[in-house]
Amino acid sequence: MLTAVIFVPLAGAVAVLALRGLEGRRLRAVATAISAVPLVLLVVAWARFDLGRGGFQLVESARWIPSIGVGYKVGLDGLSLPLAALTALLFPVSIAYPVDDKGRLREYLAWFLFLEAVSLGVFLALDLFLFYVFFDLSLVGMYFLIGQWGHGEARRSALKFFIYTLTGTLLILLGIFGLYLAMSPRTFDMAEIIRQQPLAGNALRGGLVFLAFAIGFGIKTPVVPFHTWLPAAHVDAPGPASTILAGVLLKMGTYAFVRIVLSMVPEAFDRYAIWVGIVAVVSIVYGAFVSLGQTNLKRRIAYTSVNHMGYVILGIAAAAAVGRGSPSARQLALTGATVEMVAHGLITGALFLLAGSVWNRGEEYDLEAYGGLTSRAPAMAGTTILFAFASLGLPGLAGFVAEFQVFVGTFDVFPWLAGIGLLGILITAALFLQMLQKLFFGELPERWLTWPDLSRVELVGLVPLAALVVVIGVAPAWLLDVIDSASKGILAATRAALGR
Amino acid sequence: MIWFVPLLPALVGGAIWASGGRATRRTLAAAGVAGVAGSLVLAIVAVAGRRTGAFGWGAGLELTVAAEGLSRVMAVLVPVIAAPVVAYAAFHEAEHGLARLTGLLTAFVGAMELLVLADDLLTLLIGWELVGLLSWALIGFEWREVRTVESAGQAFVPTRFGDLGLFLAAGAAFAGTGSLRFDALGRAGSTNLAVVAAGILLAAAAKSGQLPFSPWLFSAMAGPTPVSALLHSATMIAAGAYALARLEPMLSPVPWFGGTVLGIGLATALAGGVVALVQDHGKRVLAASTSAQYGLMFVAVGAGFPGAAGAHLVTQAFFKALLFLAVGVAMQAVGTGDIHRMHLGRALPAVAGAALVGSLALAAVPPLGAAWSKEAIVAAAAEDRLVLALAVAVAGLLSAAYATRLQLLAFGRDGASDPPSPAPTRVEVAAVAALAAGTVALSVLWIPGGADRVARITGGRVPEESLGLAATGIVAVVAGALLGRALARRDVAVPAVWADWLGIPVATKRLVVDPALAGARALAAFDGRVVDAGVRGAGRIGDWLGRALARRDRLTVDALVEAIGRGAFGLAGRSGRADDRVVDRSFDRLAVGVGAAGRLARRAQTGMAHHYLLVIAAGVVGVALLAAAWR
Repeated sequence: MLTAVIFVPLAGAVAVLALRGLEGRRLRAVATAISAVPLVLLVVAWARFDLGRGGFQLVESARWIPSIGVGYKVGLDGLSLPLAALTALLFPVSIAYPVDDKGRLREYLAWFLFLEAVSLGVFLALDLFLFYVFFDLSLVGMYFLIGQWGHGEARRSALKFFIYTLTGTLLILLGIFGLYLAMSPRTFDMAEIIRQQPLAGNALRGGLVFLAFAIGFGIKTPVVPFHTWLPAAHVDAPGPASTILAGVLLKMGTYAFVRIVLSMVPEAFDRYAIWVGIVAVVSIVYGAFVSLGQTNLKRRIAYTSVNHMGYVILGIAAAAAVGRGSPSARQLALTGATVEMVAHGLITGALFLLAGSVWNRGEEYDLEAYGGLTSRAPAMAGTTILFAFASLGLPGLAGFVAEFQVFVGTFDVFPWLAGIGLLGILITAALFLQMLQKLFFGELPERWLTWPDLSRVELVGLVPLAALVVVIGVAPAWLLDVIDSASKGILAATRAALGR
Repeated sequence: MIWFVPLLPALVGGAIWASGGRATRRTLAAAGVAGVAGSLVLAIVAVAGRRTGAFGWGAGLELTVAAEGLSRVMAVLVPVIAAPVVAYAAFHEAEHGLARLTGLLTAFVGAMELLVLADDLLTLLIGWELVGLLSWALIGFEWREVRTVESAGQAFVPTRFGDLGLFLAAGAAFAGTGSLRFDALGRAGSTNLAVVAAGILLAAAAKSGQLPFSPWLFSAMAGPTPVSALLHSATMIAAGAYALARLEPMLSPVPWFGGTVLGIGLATALAGGVVALVQDHGKRVLAASTSAQYGLMFVAVGAGFPGAAGAHLVTQAFFKALLFLAVGVAMQAVGTGDIHRMHLGRALPAVAGAALVGSLALAAVPPLGAAWSKEAIVAAAAEDRLVLALAVAVAGLLSAAYATRLQLLAFGRDGASDPPSPAPTRVEVAAVAALAAGTVALSVLWIPGGADRVARITGGRVPEESLGLAATGIVAVVAGALLGRALARRDVAVPAVWADWLGIPVATKRLVVDPALAGARALAAFDGRVVDAGVRGAGRIGDWLGRALARRDRLTVDALVEAIGRGAFGLAGRSGRADDRVVDRSFDRLAVGVGAAGRLARRAQTGMAHHYLLVIAAGVVGVALLAAAWR
């Protein structure tokens, strides 16, 4: 079934290119329908998911390159299931969302479907080599979406994104080889690597592999100071591509921090956890401050991603510090970090869709150019306000659930870092209130007198995201318990690996 | 069932807003009051049965509510005060957006009920921040005015700073006890408990408008009058004093806790009194007074008598809501908030009469209940140190003074007797009268044995009544009234900053807000120019290197790479980016990743797929070299 999750959209990409008879809205409808197939399959997977069983479930495998220990193997656990489901939800919404396709709708949709397939592959792959292939291919998909359908200096930004993150993946490749070479017998099988802990007791190699991974995935996440590709890519990307970039691609970095770094080199991560935590807190506070200083709507939202990914990394770092705090606090932090990945995907994904809607109407990102839009577009104002408050961590919405767990869990491990990181919550409040004020309140400038409200298509995409943000905010048990089952297993394995 | 105490008004409020602008004032008032009254009935049932509730959140977290101690009093008080305020709002405010206003006010009751029923720090924090959100929405009600929305932000951000304290408290509680329950706090070690106490004190001081957070109450004045009436009486601002009083038994073991709470409260009570005395805007007089009155409650908690604080919380709620609604009528009558231009005693006799009850209560004149609760706080301070009791008496003197001044200027009988046009509606007058009746009814506190009864109902300690202190209190009230009368007749020139919270807002703007915004802008520029410069520099070096190497060997395309590129990246070709340009077959010599990246940079506009594979290949070679070295 999981194989279908990955290959249906891939086949869909080919099909969209081949179906010459379909054009325009019908073509988009077909692409949207194809992209929704993985969502349906993953909902079924969710229903079949067994909370009580540890390890990976719904595993499917095939021989691929047995001579060097490469296999095709996919499966999921409580960590990857929510992220894969998030991916499968964001893609149909983004594909259906209106955008200026520059007369090349067919290619646009094909790239989106291709990107969906490889993104799902990243979260479902249980073989490091397979993971790496999908991880790298996701760059290609996003490169073309930004470069071809972006605006402003799109090509330049796309290139910067590509080269910067490609440099990161080279480091990741080094790390993967470091693990692989220490395995015996040689294999890229993730479960086997986690079981064997090939670098246990080897401080130098463990440290080097950790460093390569930390920088590589740190670029992807991104953390300060490796974040400067992000605002450029976002600003010039079309709205739906930004949604995927923020909602899905950034999660690949944080997901790998848990799946690979925390699980496969726990010793080194434990040793350097405090430093990762410090980088996270810098990302939180610095990202929020820089965001507050932006007058460009999209840059502002982009930098809040730096801030939010800081929360995620902080939670993961706390979870990795095995010697500190209680196991239950570290588990809370890790669960919170994973919930933050999901929450940020929904919330920031939606905010970028809305930014795309603003661009489609006004071709202007400067906040100073706006004001009073509520009177023309109450639905747009209402949804933006909802997602903005969700992003600043208001209770009753998804972001709070995550941030509360991250901070409460981290406090027992790194009390000072948790305390300083809390400032991020304050600054995001200020920056979102200011953003809302500049867009929606006060007087309506004359040039926007004919500003249209959200269309039905836009609402159809945004409403499910909003509903999920509220449901997770109010009654998150269905999500938290799934994630917590993975956190528990991962941390138990970590403790075992460290012999504590 | 207990969950419906907060849920019902929240849902009804949402429905009222959603119903839009079609409903009449009467319908809106009826719907709002029905929602609030429903919550009241449910609250009474919950309180009588001491109900509790728990809701699993997953990952071991649980939301819990309980009708216990002071929360029993608050759960009933909130809807009792809110009902007349909601009715008043539906008839007092402009038609435009009235459904939104009524709906938000009704929902506000729900958020506050959740806050007061919370039995753990997570639930408390949820209610706490929801109350803050709704305050923002209510203060910024007139969103077409930029100033109003800014004021709403100025109210939201400082209180959110306080909210961080609750996050911190939750973290420390979990670290110390593995739980977030209030009753587990006793198990937290001394360090963690101290953090919990500090966090809750920060949150409470910000919410209750204590120094240095007091000025946000002035920003909140940008909202409609009924909003102020509700915020300043039983909700929002009440939350701080409530939380301290509720948690005092758990936090009092922290050595510095009592003294610090007491100090903050006393300083605010005195400073707020001075500010209120020199303010000329009716709502701001009341806002400063709110800080001062909550300061007195802090004093009671700090002295170890949360029961006395609870009593004053109740009496203050009635007379403050009453005074705000009365001043709202007066402001509408004269079209300004300047109390010097009111003198409406003869024009609005009924409202002025009700306001007089409120002013007497604010001045703490027996036998009104507010006098009893203030005397209880004096007695509480005396239990700590006599000099503190004197200081509280001075704060009482100030309340009596500004209450007298307000009443004489706003509702003095020395103005014209023509009724204003339009005259206040019967519902508005009835709401004011109902709150006045409540204020009078609280005189039952003076019936002997009051202290024991209050202690039993609130579950917190109340000091013994003392005749000597009561006499001192009365002397202070009389002195204050005389001072207020003198000031009403002749204004004393004081620096203008006194009236604007002694210059705190200006200082905050200059020392915190402006530097933060300037710093954010500077960091944004720094991020664009400096942090990114390293990246761009590396790109340039790579580019240069790539050019240099490429010049050295111009070889033809590697057919294999191109074939793979065509096959695997056919999609790339479809995008019109595929490029048959000859790629140098130099990858085996360019094993250095930097050079490859530079070449990529140079070939920005060409077929990425080929370059991409080139880099992978280079990486593989690099890895192979490394692997060889690794052995």
